[in-house]
Amino acid sequence: MNAQYDIAIIGGGVVGTAIARGLSRFELKAVLLEARPDLGDESSKGNSALMCSGLDVPAGTLERRLVQRGYARYMAEASDMGLPIRKVGAITLAWSEEQQRILEHELAAARRDGFTAELFDSTEIYRRWPQFGPGIRCGLWAPDEAIVDPFSTPHAYALDALANGVDIRRGWPVQRAEHDGKSWALFNGAERLTTRCVINAGGIRADHVEALAGYSDFAIRPRRGQYMVLDKSARAIHDVIAMPTPTPATRGILITPTIFGNVLVGPTAEDVEDRDDRRVTDEGLAQLRQAIATMIPALADHPVNTIFAGMRPATQFSDYQIIPRLERGWVTVAGIRSTGLSASLGIAEHVAALLVPYMFDVARKPAPKRINVPSLSETSLRPWQDSGRIAIDPCYAEMICHCERISRGEIRDALACPLAPQTLNSLKRRTRAMFGRCQGFYCGARVQAMFEEGRGVPT
Amino acid sequence: MNSNSDPQVLIVGAGPAGLAAARTLAAQGVTDILVIDRDDAPGGLPRFCHHPGFGLEYARWPYTGPGFAKRLLCDLAGTNVRIECRTTLIALRDGPVAEITGPRLGFRQIRPRAIILATGIRESHRGNLLVPGGRAETGILTTGQLQQLVARRIALPKHLKSAVIIGTEHVAFSAIWTARHAGLRIRAMVGAEDRIMSFAPLGTLARAAGTDIFTRTHLREIVIENGAPSAVILQAPQEIRRLPTDAVLFTGNWIPEVAALTGGPVMLDPRTGGPEIDQAMRTSAPGTFAAGNMLHGVESSGWCANEGRHAGLMAARYLRGEIAGTQGGHRLELSAEIAFLVPQRWDSTAEAAPVSLRVARDMHNRRLALTAGADQLWTGGRRNFLRKRRIVLAAAMGATGVTIID
Repeated sequence: MNAQYDIAIIGGGVVGTAIARGLSRFELKAVLLEARPDLGDESSKGNSALMCSGLDVPAGTLERRLVQRGYARYMAEASDMGLPIRKVGAITLAWSEEQQRILEHELAAARRDGFTAELFDSTEIYRRWPQFGPGIRCGLWAPDEAIVDPFSTPHAYALDALANGVDIRRGWPVQRAEHDGKSWALFNGAERLTTRCVINAGGIRADHVEALAGYSDFAIRPRRGQYMVLDKSARAIHDVIAMPTPTPATRGILITPTIFGNVLVGPTAEDVEDRDDRRVTDEGLAQLRQAIATMIPALADHPVNTIFAGMRPATQFSDYQIIPRLERGWVTVAGIRSTGLSASLGIAEHVAALLVPYMFDVARKPAPKRINVPSLSETSLRPWQDSGRIAIDPCYAEMICHCERISRGEIRDALACPLAPQTLNSLKRRTRAMFGRCQGFYCGARVQAMFEEGRGVPT
Repeated sequence: MNSNSDPQVLIVGAGPAGLAAARTLAAQGVTDILVIDRDDAPGGLPRFCHHPGFGLEYARWPYTGPGFAKRLLCDLAGTNVRIECRTTLIALRDGPVAEITGPRLGFRQIRPRAIILATGIRESHRGNLLVPGGRAETGILTTGQLQQLVARRIALPKHLKSAVIIGTEHVAFSAIWTARHAGLRIRAMVGAEDRIMSFAPLGTLARAAGTDIFTRTHLREIVIENGAPSAVILQAPQEIRRLPTDAVLFTGNWIPEVAALTGGPVMLDPRTGGPEIDQAMRTSAPGTFAAGNMLHGVESSGWCANEGRHAGLMAARYLRGEIAGTQGGHRLELSAEIAFLVPQRWDSTAEAAPVSLRVARDMHNRRLALTAGADQLWTGGRRNFLRKRRIVLAAAMGATGVTIID
């Protein structure tokens, strides 16, 4: 096999898939290469699932610009893909005088930069959110901050890219790259493809990908973030993004509703040696519990559905590392540490603008095809509530996952999708089945049976 | 009954409690009974436990799990009890009104005259128990999940050869049995308490069969390599031990399944996590009864069936207008040694429900007492009280509290 492409994107996380979607709008032959069996299976699966307006990203940085642009585009385009958004707003809390001064400063800066923000005194805070623990002096209210679906987002981008002509290869780790002066040859074992241009969106392994081309401008410094997912009953108590005043070192542990209807607590911020060390630790859990006890004591003993750790693909630099090396046709998109989901559509636009006019003399496609993913939002009409839909197909009323209320029809649809999940965990992220309070006690075997049947495994 | 009219009685859950309730209602002459179950076949969790010991208190015979499920279903032959599987209770409201959804009935509200809740329990898993360690793709399960995998003939991944069982309740020994059938070698059982929570002879048998039992030991961490467990780190009083294993099985620590009751009119008991009931099995929602493991975490299937029978009897009496549909009695005061008491509310009902009590810690050579205000109404004989073991108690008129004395 020797397929020829104009552009190969290495890395199918939220950034790589957004870039693929962006480039699919041009008359180009592009391919997305993902090492893992499924897309969005590294950093993109373990984050806070926020859509940030950019207010709390340092002004003057590329990150701020692309987060702002990404936010605007997500707000405009996500619903066309079926992706849900809940603009729940964020409140940053101050307990000390020093923290209050920081928030006052941030308020002035936010207003200067055109963000909507307001400083609430403690009376207003406790009036709006009686769940907060004692001692709060004031809080910075940012009403535009939103929560989104972190799993469906890269999936929707990839489906969109696929529908608009991008090839998608999963389980295709790039092991070697050779440049002959005109184009790149990329190798995966015996397989080989050539491309005029490579975009390195390698996320947590972006430095390894850089090394294939002989570049070493940065190193990935993985930062682990541990999280706790509280049972859905917590959302009746807490339904706003809440966080402490940030310190120079970290944004701190936030407590936020998720689009799936849970409450998420995290992340911790730990520099770790091994980028695959996604361990949850006693110390991490203690920090999370401390955060709950301080911010929302009523949730201190709330049932926990699951614990996990994500890895931020940070580098030694604080800003994004987007490096166009057009002479060799190698574009690096790295160091997208915590804000990749928020900035993804901004990054895609930025990369296309850096690359397409200078390397390719191509037109935009007249009418891109539209795709739609099922909304997994708890607050949208769920299939089991939709009598019309059930009347046509009763499979949407047959619950397989009882905790999340996910029907046989939804699991069947996910398995029949052109980018069908390759692992059980990926099916879980695609449908929410087994995501709930029982974590598969009731439904695990039935979901696995459907998964294996869908993949043609004899049972 | 045609599927568009509301039944007289809706029973939620076709396990031992729900099926026994259905049989009793039918025997009492109630003709319009609908049992819904969210799984694809009736019988409840015993269906997946292929060892004897089921139904003893109810049927005076130690059936296997599937055997007892079958017996309960056979008891319904000749009645017109209708069982609708794959059908889920979504929410419950005053009325009683039940919101259900299923492929045959669709998403609808039904308004029966009485509802009996018998939705059962689930096991705690790693997330509930906050066990640190790596991120796994496979190899971390609950007994329930493993039992269903085996019953549905779904092969475990080939690299899974050994397992460590977390927990020492009865179900942990059931898990040994199931795991063996799944081709897993059980290396060890781990429990935080100073004894196994199940019967001591079962521990002796397990040891004889080559399973180490570690008591007073905590699971500190699950070590993950390549997306699956490679070892567990165990913390004993004197030492930290690393035990290689391919799988970790979480067992027991039962949680009542009450998700559909959230925000509804059925009041829950914070001690059990299940509905608070009176001696007629009535919940705080008028016309709504409850029975079985959702009331108290795990009891034997025979006990649950007996509770179901009592709930069926009480619901039949309510339909005949002999008792009210509203909850009666008063909540008993429990001393610190008592973990929970079911029914929580007592009154002067002649036909009292089975009473089940658990203690919060092991106590030796003590006596149980029922109090009425400052007075002792009744005291039992000296005995040992063990955690997680059923302590049977006869209800007494006029009691206001339960305590352990001496």
